[in-house]
Amino acid sequence: MSELKILLAGEGGQGVQTIAEVLAEAFALEGKEVSYIPAFGVEQRGTPSVAYLIVSNKEIRYPKFELADYLIILQKRAIDTVKSYSHIGAKIIFDSSTISLGDLPKTETAVFGIPATQIAIEQFYAKAFNLIILGKLAKVFGLDQDKVWELLFGQLKSKFKTKEIEKQAERAFRFGYGFVFEVKKYSEPVFQPSKHDIVVKGFGKTAKIIPARCKGCGLCITKCPVAALKNSKELGVYATPVPEIDLERCINCGNCRLFCPDGAIEVNKDK
Amino acid sequence: MIEIMPKCWNKATKPDLFCPGCGHGIVLKHLGYAIDTMEIRDKVTLGIDIGCSLLAWNFFNFDTVQTHHGRTAPTMLGYKRAQPERIALAYMGDGGAYAIGLQSILHAAMRNEPITIIVVNNENYAMTGGQASPTTETGTITITTPLGKAKDSVGGLKGPELVRMMADKNAYVARTTMANPIVMQNMIKKAIKTQAETNNFAFLEILSICPTNWRTNAKESLHRVVEMEKHYPLGEFLKEDK
Amino acid sequence: MSNKLITGNDAIVAGALDAGAEIMFGYPITPASEILHNWVKECGKNKKIQCLQTEDEIAAGFAVLGAVLGGKKAFTASAGPGHILLQDALAMAENLRLPFVGIMMQRGGPSTGTVSFGQQEVNLAIHGGNGDGLRIVYSASSILELYTLTIKAFDSAWRYRFPTIMLGDGYLGKMATTLDLPKPLHPVIAKPILPGRTTPVFLRNCYSNETELNGHLNNNIRDWRDNFARMAESEIYGVKTPKVLIIAHGIVAAAAKDAIDVLRKEKVSLGLFRPITLNPFDHPSLLRAVKNATRVLIFESSLDQLSYIVKYNLSGSKIRIIENAKPALAFTAGEIVTTVRKEIND
Repeated sequence: MSELKILLAGEGGQGVQTIAEVLAEAFALEGKEVSYIPAFGVEQRGTPSVAYLIVSNKEIRYPKFELADYLIILQKRAIDTVKSYSHIGAKIIFDSSTISLGDLPKTETAVFGIPATQIAIEQFYAKAFNLIILGKLAKVFGLDQDKVWELLFGQLKSKFKTKEIEKQAERAFRFGYGFVFEVKKYSEPVFQPSKHDIVVKGFGKTAKIIPARCKGCGLCITKCPVAALKNSKELGVYATPVPEIDLERCINCGNCRLFCPDGAIEVNKDK
Repeated sequence: MIEIMPKCWNKATKPDLFCPGCGHGIVLKHLGYAIDTMEIRDKVTLGIDIGCSLLAWNFFNFDTVQTHHGRTAPTMLGYKRAQPERIALAYMGDGGAYAIGLQSILHAAMRNEPITIIVVNNENYAMTGGQASPTTETGTITITTPLGKAKDSVGGLKGPELVRMMADKNAYVARTTMANPIVMQNMIKKAIKTQAETNNFAFLEILSICPTNWRTNAKESLHRVVEMEKHYPLGEFLKEDK
Repeated sequence: MSNKLITGNDAIVAGALDAGAEIMFGYPITPASEILHNWVKECGKNKKIQCLQTEDEIAAGFAVLGAVLGGKKAFTASAGPGHILLQDALAMAENLRLPFVGIMMQRGGPSTGTVSFGQQEVNLAIHGGNGDGLRIVYSASSILELYTLTIKAFDSAWRYRFPTIMLGDGYLGKMATTLDLPKPLHPVIAKPILPGRTTPVFLRNCYSNETELNGHLNNNIRDWRDNFARMAESEIYGVKTPKVLIIAHGIVAAAAKDAIDVLRKEKVSLGLFRPITLNPFDHPSLLRAVKNATRVLIFESSLDQLSYIVKYNLSGSKIRIIENAKPALAFTAGEIVTTVRKEIND
């Protein structure tokens, strides 16, 4: 391999840059020349997070490129930003639980799916998403599993608040490493934000929850004085859980509407 | 009846680009409700700073202008002189207000410029990654204070207290918190009315949360903003008669 | 002919008034302070205009932006260190196409320098921000021009929507003479940028997407290029296509005109090309002026600031260019005569 160009594309908050940094360090440990640069704007969340990774046997002068050998696509909303980097020979690795095949840029080489969002939510915890991806990419690029975990641990150890979480994180990473790609038979992209407003009626009240605006911040749940709100299975705009309401408990205090920063929830008394 | 979101919000730009759980969303919501109830949507011009507040550039459906960092107050006081019938709002964070822009705010207060300044205080420079700001409290760990913010003479700049010293006795100077949205909404209305009805300077600091840089969840964020009141007391500051 | 003495700074205020300016924001700084003083006096006579002395030039610059957003012709006047501080507001004006008008009475630099005279703020006026210099920059060479170019500055700023600076200097500002000022015709009407007419206006200067900013800048550049010929101005004095061409701007050009009058008697084929706009530069007129020239002599009270512009516009030409640079020091007509004679006799 003379030069390997890897483009990672996700959304702010998914941990894309951490994946890229750890991979860069891992390749460097193997004696390769590496270059890593994030593409970034001002927003911290809600816009594409893209990383350019170049691995080479000779000095790398310029950190960006026009066509990628590997496109790692982790968020449907990031596809428009990166589709020009694809070409006939490019290999695409994508999160098949949130992205459907039809959304991806056309490529003639095989496309590899891993339903990482679904695996994270169902088997580990939501934030383990990027650990699963990193595990799989370590395998794809022939990197040493233990060395990569060590590097990852070095990056993230301050974020593991308990030993239990740390153990789960390692399990998620190694699960990703051992996962066999979906090729030609992919998961359904079921982990998508719900498109429709949720309207619930009962006990003289009507509640409205708008997943298209809910970012899963949890303020409404925290501020509900009677614990009438909790996370549901529906997903909001960043694939985080949207609240569901128990209208029997609800006392129509209005806190959820007062505190929602995004205008995504309200309860009204029926006339 | 309160709407799920203010009428003067620009629906086309929702969901907005503020982080999940950002205090700005709640402040801008109650600013929106205040503008709705006061029926002044077609009279308001909003100036915003460069920081997270810049994300509000197309947030409402009334005129909005992004200025430079720390320069929102002088821009809006210049605007008000050209359009005295309109309501000039200057919206910024603790960095823009109390570091780079402090001088202009104090002089605007001193001259009793009839503008309304709203400062959203979340104790850090959030957009650039959470560096310590003048309101970061002693001992707080941030990316530029990894060993905890060093103790300075005040332990965190108290903006309204400082502004009150410089402001006219008829100016409105106050501090509130997004943790109490109804009180906050009322104080926002008062701050706007001070300009619109009495032609005096108005300054309102709002204690707010930053889950992203504080690395806190909803519960922890709300707890911290309430703790902030120990150093940054809430209230309306009146000029003492001497 | 009036026998009342007026200074350059007086002429500027008269020009601003006749241009329809309504608000000045300023900060005391020699040699521009008289502009602020006179404007304050005018405000005493006329309730329709306003003045504010701000806490620094940064606030003055941004208050000008606020006022022009509100549709009023507003301006500031400064020099040297104040001109540096105004770059923050000028950069915003450049991005957002705001009709900022600034009168800069150059003094010696860098840093505090002298309070009296210089030509070292040319680069600052054109390129002092973090953009590519889409600003209209005039250079006045007489008291009359301080009046007429001030009016033109407002006109150009509001017509073409690029921030506009008129460069003068301390000598011109303080020089007094008797002069009848002409009356201007039909100043451009200023309209508010905010509020928008039917839909709200969202003005941003911060972009997350590099391609978007580039697109926005390309629109500005297109407007700049489309109006280039209308905005650029220059003057030729003496022989129209001489063998020896002097290039100078501002008060140095005024001294050069005196030098040409002296040398004309000695039957020298000599002329002066005087840029009235330093930016955009009147490239076609310069090319016409150098048609028969064997030599170009540049005189500037700065190092290379004028000559870089001239050389850029003469690129490809084989003409011999002689640079006479005296940063922060003026030229008398006699000096210019001596230099030209020496050059011709070599």
